[in-house]
Parts: sequence; structure tokens; C-alpha cells
Amino acid sequence: MTFVRPLAQRFLALGPVLFGITLLVFALNAVALGDPARAALGQRADPEVLRQLRHEYALDRPLVVQYATWIGRLLHGDLGRSYRQQRPVTEVIADRLPATVRLAVAATLVSVVLGMGAGALAAVRPGSGLDHALMGAAVLGISTPVFWLGMMLALVFAVSLDWLPVSGYGGGDLAHLVLPALTLGALHTGTVARMTRGSLLDVVRLDYIQTARAKGVAEWVVLGKHALRNALIPVVTVIGIGLADLLVGAPLTETVFAWPGLGRMLVAAVGERDLPVVMGAVLVFAVVYVVGNLLVDLAYLVIDPRTRASE
Amino acid sequence: MAALPAAPAPVGPKPGGIFRLAFGTDPPTLDPAQASDTTSSSVIRQIFDALLELDERLEVRGAVAERWAVSADQRVYTFHLRRGVGFQNGRELGASDVKYSFERAARGKRPWVFEKIMGAREFIRGRASDITGIRTVGERTVEITLERPFAPFAYLMAYDAASIVPREEVARRGATFASHPVGTGAFRLGEWRHDDQLVLERFPRHFRGVPLLERIVFRIIPAEITRFNEFRTGNLDVADIPTGYCRRVQSDPRTSEEVAIWPTLGTSAVRFNVERPPFDDRRIRQAIAHAVDPRVAVNGLLEGCVSAPRGILPPAMPGFNERVRPLAFDPALSRQLLASAGYPGGRGLPRIAYYYNTTELNQRIAELLQAELREIGVRLELRRLDWAAHIKLVDDGTAGFFRQGWIADYPDPENFLTVLFHSRNIGPAGNTSRYRNPAVDRLLDEADAMPAGPARFERYREAEQVILDDAVWVSLYHYSSRALIRRYVRGLERSPLSSAPEFLAPFRKVWLDR
Repeated sequence: MTFVRPLAQRFLALGPVLFGITLLVFALNAVALGDPARAALGQRADPEVLRQLRHEYALDRPLVVQYATWIGRLLHGDLGRSYRQQRPVTEVIADRLPATVRLAVAATLVSVVLGMGAGALAAVRPGSGLDHALMGAAVLGISTPVFWLGMMLALVFAVSLDWLPVSGYGGGDLAHLVLPALTLGALHTGTVARMTRGSLLDVVRLDYIQTARAKGVAEWVVLGKHALRNALIPVVTVIGIGLADLLVGAPLTETVFAWPGLGRMLVAAVGERDLPVVMGAVLVFAVVYVVGNLLVDLAYLVIDPRTRASE
Repeated sequence: MAALPAAPAPVGPKPGGIFRLAFGTDPPTLDPAQASDTTSSSVIRQIFDALLELDERLEVRGAVAERWAVSADQRVYTFHLRRGVGFQNGRELGASDVKYSFERAARGKRPWVFEKIMGAREFIRGRASDITGIRTVGERTVEITLERPFAPFAYLMAYDAASIVPREEVARRGATFASHPVGTGAFRLGEWRHDDQLVLERFPRHFRGVPLLERIVFRIIPAEITRFNEFRTGNLDVADIPTGYCRRVQSDPRTSEEVAIWPTLGTSAVRFNVERPPFDDRRIRQAIAHAVDPRVAVNGLLEGCVSAPRGILPPAMPGFNERVRPLAFDPALSRQLLASAGYPGGRGLPRIAYYYNTTELNQRIAELLQAELREIGVRLELRRLDWAAHIKLVDDGTAGFFRQGWIADYPDPENFLTVLFHSRNIGPAGNTSRYRNPAVDRLLDEADAMPAGPARFERYREAEQVILDDAVWVSLYHYSSRALIRRYVRGLERSPLSSAPEFLAPFRKVWLDR
């Protein structure tokens, strides 16, 4: 029952946050140059068709009415119809969501497993050659542009070595997931590695770890059991924040690897001024981000009993 | 331009096989009435048929129409439909399907395809219940009457917007017809995983016989370098050549024999809004036109893989005239013109905003223009925008100096000159220069209504020269199609109307020699 109150508070905060995000995105779209109806007609547009299309898209109505209509539909679970694809936005998003979830989960696994592993290894012998090499690689991972890294990985592992596919979803085949997940995961692996190392080094200096060592507890037990659990708290925060990195990196990774995900779809929809799709996709991203952070908060409660007490 | 690779002697078409291509974007729709982009059109052309079609020599051939006749006054077109043309749902196509499809598409996104037909404008604007100029005569004859003679009308009947659709399927599917299309084409939709791949399967009961290919797979691959890598690894049979790779693929022994480059009916240009100062002064426009050296862009940025500008009309366009003279590169004359307009050495001339849409090539061209105009004292401020924002500012007249390209919808000068420069098309309809010249309007009106032939083309030549002399449009280069095509791909037509083979070629003619 200790979890209920903090959980309820965070859930209640979700509504205003999501409302604010949709309002902001709608307002940005409204002030952005470009007319969705004109963008849908290609280079040569008949003025009469343009007028009819603006009417069909309800773009000739006041902005407040447009936004209120969108919110009204949203409350009934309807995200509207895509201007460009002429299909319900929920259907458009549902088509792409599985690919994005798959990629995000795989990239998170990559960053957690590789990042925590590298961080823990580096922390075992701080200042050693291995530590310097791992932390150097971590900085490289953080500072390498996603697009470039993706192209290089594809050139080496797909074009030159022919070990993995160049691009595509491959109907869900795992081999198609490897390079996109490594590319997107690399963005965050370095951060997780550096945080794990720093956090572990802070914890091992604490008295209870020194006591455990003095009592003759094996070093792997000291690090793996006693130190790691406490060191995880800041690492979990970084993983949570990393969701934002994943969302930022997803469109680029999806573009390089022709991955049929939400990120790429959102970028295309912005270019086409397909407002219903933009609003729907941003809402999904916002929900993922907010819920992700909520899960991080919950993870604190599980990992650290002191957080429960303070709540 | 490089010559096409010589193909080995044909051994005769082999049936079967999967033809693999890629698009940069997912087609937004597969409904001929709703399409307005080349990607959608290229799939529509495989699923549907129109009354007529164009071959790669741009000659009109019968498709659903077996034969057709034009009246002496050039206003009445009578199309006789083939027997046994079946829709993919099993029903036979009849004359009423043609009338239904045209009226439906006339109220779609490309009404201009039908607006020459008598009564079409009233129908499009909702003031008539049908297009009076389309009349069915019995089960297999359609008679179309035009408002006035229009020589390129047969081309319009080959356009994908004029594809024939079955009424009952449209009624049954409603808006979802766009993703569940049913036509009479050689291929039908098999599977469509949005943003991933679209698969077409052969339609064995196609009226021309069983298509050779078993299947066509269009992968959706947004990055051009990824499409190139997929081609290199053998996963695509056709791919485009990435920007900046044209010379490299021609000199690389692994790809040189697969490079195909051919002229396209398109021109890339910069335009002025002649209503907007300082471009309302012809001397300023001419000064800028004389300061641009297209050879730098053609041979440098575009690696010699496009043609140098010869006017507004591309050289491959029927009616192209060698005597047309664009304003030549002459910086000294540019300076004189600037001085005569009151801006010696560019002094006193405000900084000019140049608008262009976001592509790497457009960015490089903008920087090149900036450097060239700096030589005559004109300072250019670069305004890079995405397509939607760019087209808005161009359409509404905000942009005074901007990039614009044009690829012909059909092979006739009318589709360039009348669309882009007639005063009735000011704004989004095509005349984004907002150019009004009664003499040019008169020449274009006369030419548009004349029967095909040299006299008609001569009117267009006169109009083109006036427009060039007025420096409303400065051509930078004429487009070419650049593709990598596997040597075993046979029968893939290379239409000058298309910027890529996948956009126009009828795939029913394609077979794989392996």
C-alpha cells in the first residue's frame, strides 16, 4: 500500500502534462509556415481544389475550434484522420508502433547490458588501462552522430562482411534488428557506462562496503550484491532520462535502416504538415516518456526502501 | 551524358521472378483520383489502365481503348474499347466505367487532367451533375467532346489520373479504396506494409495476357545511401544514384555497366516574382540571369550527369527549338544592367532573399548562386525551408527570388509554357512568377488551340523567347534520369517523362534474364 499514494499523485500529474504537450504542438503547427492542403496537392494546385481541401480538413475554421474538436475526439479515443493517407490516425500509428517498441526495447537492452557491464568492469580497476579504454569508448559512443554510426555499421557488417541485412524490418526477423538496435543503443550506452562506473566507485568507498570487505566477503559478492544495488539508483535515473535520447535518435536510426517506425513517420508527417498524424505521434511519444519516467520513479521505490519511507 | 550500357542479345522473355525496387517514401494513396505524387502514380500505373498509354518514345498507344478517332474540327475524340477487359474483381469493363471514373477523378486532386472537356469546369465547381462532354455510345464506345481543340488531349487520356476504376468497388470500400485498389492492370495489390514494403502480384487475366513477372516488391527506403547499399548487396534490381555518386558509379567497374542515364523532360531553374521589387524591374532580373554560369553547376555540382540549359523547354521535348536563346553568362553586361537600373556595382540594392527547399543539392546550388552574384555586387541571403513552407511562400508571392523545377506531365510545350507563364495560372496553378504579358498569353492561347504541327511549335518558340528575354525564369540545367539497373533486367522502358524508371515504365513488359 506504500506505493499507492505516490503512484496516484504521479498519475494525476499525467493529464495536465499531456494536455500541455498537445497544446504546445498544436500551437507550433499553427504558427509554422505551410498549408497542409497545399502540401497535399504537389507542385501544381488547382485553386478550387485547394479551397475544397482546406474546407475538408477543417482548416478554414478558427484555430480554437480546430483544437477543441481534436481534444473532443481524443476523449472518445479518436485521433482523427491522416490528411495524407486518408486513414484513421490510430490505424496509422498502430501500423508503426510494434516496430518502434521493438527497436526501443532492443536499444534499451543494448545500452543497459553493455553500459552497465562496461561501467562495472571499469570500476573494478579504476585508473587501469581497461578503465581508460572503456571510458574512452563510452565518450566516443556519446559523441558519435547516430546517422553516421548507422551508415558505418551498415557498410562494415552488411555491405563489406555480409553478416547482417542492410536495412528493412524483414518481417520481424531478429537479424534485421541487430544493427538498428546497436546504433540507437550506442547513443545511450556510454552514458550508462559512465554513470555505473561513477556510482559504483562512490558506493564502494562507503563504510558498509569496507566492513563487508573487512569481514572477508568475496570481492564479487561485495560488488555484485552489496554495492551494485545501491549504485543502481542513479543508473536507473539515467536509463529513464535515456528514453528521451531514444525518442530523439529513433527517427534518424529508422531512416538509415528503413525501419518502419513511428519516429520516421513523425518526421515525414511534419514535412507534409499532416497535423492529425503529428499530434497523434507526439501524444504517443509523450505518453511513453511520461509513463517511462513514472516507471523509473516506481523502480526507486523498489530498489531503495528509504524512498518509500520519505513518501 | 553517358551512353546507356549495351545489353547482350535478347534470348526471349522468360516468365517468373520477383522484381525488386525501392521508393523513398510510402505511397500516400493508390486511388487514381486522390494521388498527386509520383510514388503513388507509379504503383497506380501497374494496378490500373487508362484508355491510352505512352511508350518510351512518347508515342500514344491504345490501352483499354483499342482504337480512337478525332473529328475534323479536333474537338471530338471517339474511343472504342477492347472486348474482354476485365477488372481484377472479375467484372468486364464497359463504357459507363470510363464516364464514372473521369467524373470521379475530375473532383479529385488533379482536375486539370479533365478540364479541357466540355462542361468539366462547371462539374468540377459543383455547378453541374455530370460532365456533358463525356458521352457513352453503347457498351464499348466513349465520345469525349472538348471545349476547344487541344492537341495534347490524347496524352491526358494516358495519364494515371485518367485510370478506370470499378464503381462497385469504390462504393463498397469508400475511402479505403485508396489502400484496397481494384483496377484492370497487369498487377494487383498483394501486400502493403506501410513504410516497409508494397508487393504487387501478377493479374493472370490481364487483357494483354499473363504478365511475365510473378511479383514486384517495392521496398520503402528513405535514405538514398541505404538504397544504394541494398543495390550493392544484391537486394535491389533497380536503384537511384545517390547525390554526388554519378561519376563514381560510372568509373567503378562493379557498377559501371549497370549505370543508365537518359534525358528527362524537366528543367531546374530559379524564378522571380515580377510583382515584387526590385524584380519588377526587368533590368535587375536580366542582370542576375547574365551573372549565373550554369556550367559550374552542371559540370561541378552535378558531375556532368545533367544537360546544360538550352532554354525553358528541355531538348528532349517535342517542339524544342534550337533557335531559342537563353540569356548568356556575361558578368560585364550584368554590371551594366545593374548600373542602368540605378545600382552601380550593386550599391543601394538591398540584400536579396533567395528561397529554396531543403535538399543537399539545392543548398549547394544556393551557395553557388550566392558566390556568383557577389561578383556583380548583389548580396544574397539564403532562406532554406522545407517543401511545405517553401511552396507556401512561393504560391502566395512572398518569395521574390526562388528555386523551382518542373518535369512535364505530358510531352507537350503547353505543359511547360502555358502552365508556368500564362497569366490565368498565376499562383499555385503554376505561374509563380506572377508574370502577365498579353503578347505571351495571346501566343500561348493560339498555340494551345492549334492542331499539332510545326506552326504550333513555332508559336511556343516565340513565347519562350519573350519569356527568356524578360528574364522571368533562369534555367540552371535540364534533368536527367539516373539509375542503376541490373543487366539481367529486360524490357524496362526509360521514359523521358520520368525522373526514375520505376515511376512510369509499364512493368508488364519487364522480365528477368537469369
